[in-house]
Amino acid sequence: MSGRRVRRRPEVGPPLPWEFPEASTRTLPNGLRLLLVDLPGQHVLSLRLALAAPPSQEERGTEGSTLMMARCLDEGTASRDATELAELVERHGIALGAGAGERGIHLGVEVTGRHLSPALDLLLECLTEPAFPEREVARLVRHRLTDITHELADPTGLAQHEFRQAYFDPDGRSHLPLGGVAATVRELTPDVLRARHASLSPQDGVLVLAGDLSGVVDPEGLLVRTLGSWRPRSSPTAQEPSPSRRAPDAARLVVVPRPGAEQTELLLGRPGPDRRTPHGWGTYQALAMLFGGAPHARLDRVLREERGYTYGMRLGFRPRRRGGQCMVGGAVRADATLPALQETLRILAVPGEDLTAREVREAADFVAMTAPGRYLTADTVADELVSLLDDGLQPSVVTRTLQELRGLTVEQAAGAWDEVRDGPGWTVVVVGDPEATRGVAASDLGPVESVEGAGPARQP
Amino acid sequence: MPLDLPVAARTLPNGLRVVVSEDHAVPSVSMSLWVDVGSRHEQAGRTGLAHLFEHLMFQGSELVAEGEHMASLMAHGGRANATTSFDRTAYVQSVPRNCLDLALWLEADRQGHLLPALTQENLDNQRDVVVEEKRQRYDTVPYGTALLLLGELLFPAGHPYAHPTIGSMADLAAAGLEDAHAFYRAHYGPRTSILTLVGDLTADEGFGLAERYFGHLEDATTARPPTTAALPPLQTPARTVVTDEGVPSERIYLAARLPAVTDEEFLACALALDALATLSISRVHESLVRGSEVASGASATALGLRDGTSIGLIVVDVTEGTDPAEVEQQLAELLRDFAVTGPREVELEASRADSERSWLEALAGYDERAELLSRAALLFGDAGQVNDHLDRVLAVTGDQVRGAAGRYLVPEAMATLVYRWEEG
Repeated sequence: MSGRRVRRRPEVGPPLPWEFPEASTRTLPNGLRLLLVDLPGQHVLSLRLALAAPPSQEERGTEGSTLMMARCLDEGTASRDATELAELVERHGIALGAGAGERGIHLGVEVTGRHLSPALDLLLECLTEPAFPEREVARLVRHRLTDITHELADPTGLAQHEFRQAYFDPDGRSHLPLGGVAATVRELTPDVLRARHASLSPQDGVLVLAGDLSGVVDPEGLLVRTLGSWRPRSSPTAQEPSPSRRAPDAARLVVVPRPGAEQTELLLGRPGPDRRTPHGWGTYQALAMLFGGAPHARLDRVLREERGYTYGMRLGFRPRRRGGQCMVGGAVRADATLPALQETLRILAVPGEDLTAREVREAADFVAMTAPGRYLTADTVADELVSLLDDGLQPSVVTRTLQELRGLTVEQAAGAWDEVRDGPGWTVVVVGDPEATRGVAASDLGPVESVEGAGPARQP
Repeated sequence: MPLDLPVAARTLPNGLRVVVSEDHAVPSVSMSLWVDVGSRHEQAGRTGLAHLFEHLMFQGSELVAEGEHMASLMAHGGRANATTSFDRTAYVQSVPRNCLDLALWLEADRQGHLLPALTQENLDNQRDVVVEEKRQRYDTVPYGTALLLLGELLFPAGHPYAHPTIGSMADLAAAGLEDAHAFYRAHYGPRTSILTLVGDLTADEGFGLAERYFGHLEDATTARPPTTAALPPLQTPARTVVTDEGVPSERIYLAARLPAVTDEEFLACALALDALATLSISRVHESLVRGSEVASGASATALGLRDGTSIGLIVVDVTEGTDPAEVEQQLAELLRDFAVTGPREVELEASRADSERSWLEALAGYDERAELLSRAALLFGDAGQVNDHLDRVLAVTGDQVRGAAGRYLVPEAMATLVYRWEEG
């Protein structure tokens, strides 16, 4: 037995100084904007490349071609087939990822410093001479179709799908998932992907390399000689995503049957801000925390801790290029479906003036003070930078947002919340056993639409 | 490639093992507290208690009000979380350096003085939350029953790993307040715990803080159970077929008993699984996913466990229109062939390169580094294992991989779980 128990709660001192890592920035002759961030001790380097190719410009009937094109880049080039490429990637321990967003495609590479050079050569080869071999494209199309059935078999995936259908205007691209639906994915041929690839250009693209650069000889020169040498065959056209449009009748309840489900999935969404909001993007990060970011946040304090309805209910904001959504979601006990939804709507109906100074301050401090830990690793720094730059913002936004959060007042938070609360109403998706959701369908919570049972969502 | 992360370790007089790894990249500290209690320590009829405690530990303790632990840390930019597995319960907190004293004080209060706050009301509420967690993670998702069924196939009834960590809801419903108090007293104490601090502090500061906040704790835990004898590979193939038209793909799980994570052969098994089904150039991907296309996806895992026997798993999604039985047969041929020929050089090279990158990635953040240090201290009895791990991986030869595959990963020694749409 040693020492006496400290009964007195320790004081917390002022935060220690910290700054978001400085990036050295330049624009390469081919138009790529390059950001280099040296992070000593981060031995796995993170490379991110974002290129404009908005899915809103996909030809009708080929929705999903942008994502599929990105995924097929390493499935064969003029010099190597899919297996040879896979061998090259894996012998160097390269983790290669490809995705698509509202503005275009993003490629990510995680690699140790000594394998950076072959990783860059490989990335350049995939970007400049992809072959889109018939066989590999057909295989990835089949895999994507399988993925779609997996997504729809999952209650959260199904709720997201139904939300998109109900919320977005049927004539807009956002009505369909980025990866397309079965009917459009089936139409994706090598030629469609080649046409999509032809629109790629380094012009205004963003390239970020973050990590411990001490062991890499002339990292900037390496990037200039590889990705900086990429000159596309055709000249680029300006590529801005079309704004997503909300459906005029979006404010309604959609009830989706999932017979036998032991829980009901709730998903709610309504218009929210983008990162340029005059209320400050940080204000909304704090509001997300305050409502749906912890067991003691407004939603879980009641739904989880008091009532035991749920394992957790989350609230977050999804920014787009213009506007965005406020999203709330979670799974609740089947027999508590209606009270859980009523309680959720009641909590979300709180006017800004009822927010307390203490909860606003604590939420703002959480977002601001977790920043040093959040931006420790190369991948988090690279992800943040590429998403800001790709959204047309500057790296300094991180620091400015954190400063604004330190000064955030309860009045500012109230104004920001009221703008969401007073805007167009909730689209509510309820996925559950018909028995459990019957009360919702019969309630006076809003116009109700019942979706037909889909059955096992297999490929016909 | 030898790693040289600073690792300092010390045991306090009350038995608490303390590990400190200094790193001043950012002014924050991650703290991982591993308790040597997991679902394998549970008694029959009282399963699920280890995991339930992971929840109860956030409901207040003698000097801390309900919910205050999380709320007060978060208000200062801290985060807290916990996880439970077969072997241990892990509590992790990440805080700005200026908040470290508070985090340690909160942690010590619940690790040593939980019972005054552990009421019937808390117990009932968190039991409800766990029931919802089980529904969300196991009951409402496709293949959610797989882990349970595989445990039953691989382990005899009553084996410490035969039941899943989430436990039985009937057991949880039957557990009373006294059971909960007894469980805490038997398992939570300095002798069963490892405290790891990673980040903006020196080793001496770390040891001093550990002594200050945890030094007074007295230990009343019971002796840890003796090690269970290693189970030999299955002697006869075990098999379960689930008919469920709601799963999105027909799926095959092949599961094997592997040596304990501390056994020399475990790494050879892990590399074998890489070469069989993890890597893009692995046998299963090359032959079944890219080649004959009878599979639409495949993965493999080596789940390292401490108590005699680990778990190896290969998961294959069957392409629609293909008979799962045919895929099973092709898988069996691949396994047999691999056990004879062993890995190709390129597969070994890829597996090593992947191991290197993923290990360094895991060590890149303070949270996961703290977890890996606690894991090293608990499982290997040496926190320095994080620095040698890659050397051990690189030292595994192709012959060793082939030998391990021949012993542990042949079709005859594997349990098979198949999800089918219709009875076949």
